[in-house]
Amino acid sequence: MDHPYFPLLVLFAIAGVVVVALLTLAQSIGPKSISPVKADPFESGNPPRGDARIRFSVRFYLVAMLFLIFDLEVVFLYPWAILFRRLGWFGVIEMGIFLALLLIGFIYVWKKGALEWD
Amino acid sequence: MTVSTAVFYLVAAITIGSAMIVAFSRNIIYSAFSLLGTFAGVAGIYIFLGADFVAAVQVLIYVGGILVLVLFAVMLTHRITDVEITNRAAGRIPALIVVGVLVYLLAQTVRETPWAKAKEIVYAATTAKIGDLFLDTYLLPFELASLVLLAALIGAVVISRKEIKE
Amino acid sequence: MTDVNLVPLLPATQVLLTALVVLLLDLFYQEGEKGLLAWVSLLGLALCAGETLFLWGSQESAFGDAVMLDNFALFFTQIFLGAAALTILSSVHYIRQAEIHEGEFYALVLFATTGMILMAAAKDLIVFFLALETMSIAVYILTGIWRASGRSSEAAMKYFLMGAFATGFLLYGIALIYGATGSTHLNEISNYLIESPEDWPPYLIGGALLLLVGFAFKVGAVPFHFWVPDVYEGAPTPVTGFMSVAVKAAAFAAWARILMHQLAPLDSDWAFPLWVLAIITMTLGNLLAISQASVKRMLAYSSIAHAGYLLVALVVGEEWGGLPLLFYLLTYAFMAFGAFAVITALAETEQSPEDYRDFSGLGFKHPFLGMAMTLFMLSLAGFPPLAGFAGKFYVFRSAVLSGHLALAIIGVLNSLLSVIYYLRVIVAMYMEEGGAEGKSFRQAPYLYIAIGLAALGTLYLGILPARALEWSRVAFLSLD
Repeated sequence: MDHPYFPLLVLFAIAGVVVVALLTLAQSIGPKSISPVKADPFESGNPPRGDARIRFSVRFYLVAMLFLIFDLEVVFLYPWAILFRRLGWFGVIEMGIFLALLLIGFIYVWKKGALEWD
Repeated sequence: MTVSTAVFYLVAAITIGSAMIVAFSRNIIYSAFSLLGTFAGVAGIYIFLGADFVAAVQVLIYVGGILVLVLFAVMLTHRITDVEITNRAAGRIPALIVVGVLVYLLAQTVRETPWAKAKEIVYAATTAKIGDLFLDTYLLPFELASLVLLAALIGAVVISRKEIKE
Repeated sequence: MTDVNLVPLLPATQVLLTALVVLLLDLFYQEGEKGLLAWVSLLGLALCAGETLFLWGSQESAFGDAVMLDNFALFFTQIFLGAAALTILSSVHYIRQAEIHEGEFYALVLFATTGMILMAAAKDLIVFFLALETMSIAVYILTGIWRASGRSSEAAMKYFLMGAFATGFLLYGIALIYGATGSTHLNEISNYLIESPEDWPPYLIGGALLLLVGFAFKVGAVPFHFWVPDVYEGAPTPVTGFMSVAVKAAAFAAWARILMHQLAPLDSDWAFPLWVLAIITMTLGNLLAISQASVKRMLAYSSIAHAGYLLVALVVGEEWGGLPLLFYLLTYAFMAFGAFAVITALAETEQSPEDYRDFSGLGFKHPFLGMAMTLFMLSLAGFPPLAGFAGKFYVFRSAVLSGHLALAIIGVLNSLLSVIYYLRVIVAMYMEEGGAEGKSFRQAPYLYIAIGLAALGTLYLGILPARALEWSRVAFLSLD
């Protein structure tokens, strides 16, 4: 019980219990009157159109890719932020070079219009 | 068996089970979604190893980023609406040989490594240590990583730019 | 605190900065004003070449010995710079015609060059891996940069998948070696190998073999060659030239430093696989090249065969094989690049003419192109007194001197076999009629300059190899 990640286990356990409990509760006490309209997939109240499996535009992929690259950049920032005080100016320069390269990438992406949808 | 051991086996089972679905499922979309279990399970194993930073990164990058990318890639596929897009199993015999060699190597590794068992497992935050390694010992690889990211960034834009008028 | 010494990184930084400048300038110039970008790139490369001459003879390491600037690294840096400069010269006209974005093209060539320079200087497996990735990603994109061409996109896809596969092998190999030796640093790994030769765990050998497979993929050795013809054929021709010369040289540079030199104690474990690899690569490359209808594809198979000759130098080992390996890469750079540049001169539309019959009559239509192509073909086939002969001579001589007589004999026989398909090009150029028009000097002057430089190099290295040999010897000896 004194495992440092024990709270994490508790969190996941509670989350699981809540999900299962809510589903079973809805199943058991909710009224069941199935009509064709209710059996439709839920699309925010609009009548469902087409298939769920549509072909996505390649732009989604570009956005996801750019997100991933900058996501990785942020990951590298974490350890640096922790050591920031100790490293001082040396750390600023180190991270400055790292960020400068990606900043150039960002300017490039921006100017090329890759962030615009159309 | 303690709680933590039981949880470990549960996590391991989820990881391997999802990985098996990824490999064996006939439907590529199921395969892609099953990656979630694998990635999350691996994050759990990192936690058991005391690698908290790596676990967090695993969730952030793999679950939050790469999985989404994989799903987009699957959904980009031409004629994704056809259910016939499946994973075929090809080259079973060569695969068996490769897997056999790999299992042998890994088993030998497990057997021959003198595992130093710690008396007391210490779970300490590793982020600062990793930062020290990044910004000191492995400074050059750290800076090079940004170069690789920049190249990938340009590549993503060049490759997915709308150029061929449809 | 790690030792921050920027001198060893000077050449790589110079090229990287040039790439960034080109990338940014590209954003702020309109279409049509971008001719300047090629000159900026060439200026950066020239500055870097000046630096390598200035730094020649230095022996500096930095970042905890993660990179090493020695003559070996400088020698290869010069090859990469030359290849990049020739690539840029030969593509000025081509990319405008194919409507490829100029800024990105030059910037990516420079990025790839940066990665290569670091590959040749890397003393740490992680640095090597990141440098390799920088190079590979840039070259994948260059392969697919001709977006209007379906073949180019397909080639990029194939190259990327195969490259990612090879990367997986390399990375797994590195991980296993790290697991066995506890370090990614090459000096420490070789110390471990020398100090405890008795208790190498089996996965160390496994890791070393995986590393070998990864390298074999990257240089396109049989049986890991199947991507080469498709990728070489589909890529824009100047990029193909760049790949066959610079990417190959970079992979062999890393191979020589890492496997041949630093991990030399493992020689006995991969001597036999490498021996087999060399023989089948030479033989299959040459046999398959004969049956090709497209000259570009033929050159792709010929490039596989030449990888086989280079593997002979690796089998021979450090003591005898170092100098021939470096010298051969230098000679190959000129003749292979020249051959691809002549194909560039024939390119007109997406369905680029590159079959043998498209070369028909080229010798009369454009005597200069015909002469140059003849020179490159004869050199690739290994006729004296051209560069290719000198390169092969030293490789096979080293094989004989080190007791690998069988390898030398198979190599010579293979060289004879290769004459068949190289001569076919010359026959087409001078004994047949019709064929593609090709560009005149006025249409593509820089391309002609690049071809001229490659031809000069081929002649010079063949007739007066002494200086280059000395250069290669000094470079290889600088490995510590």
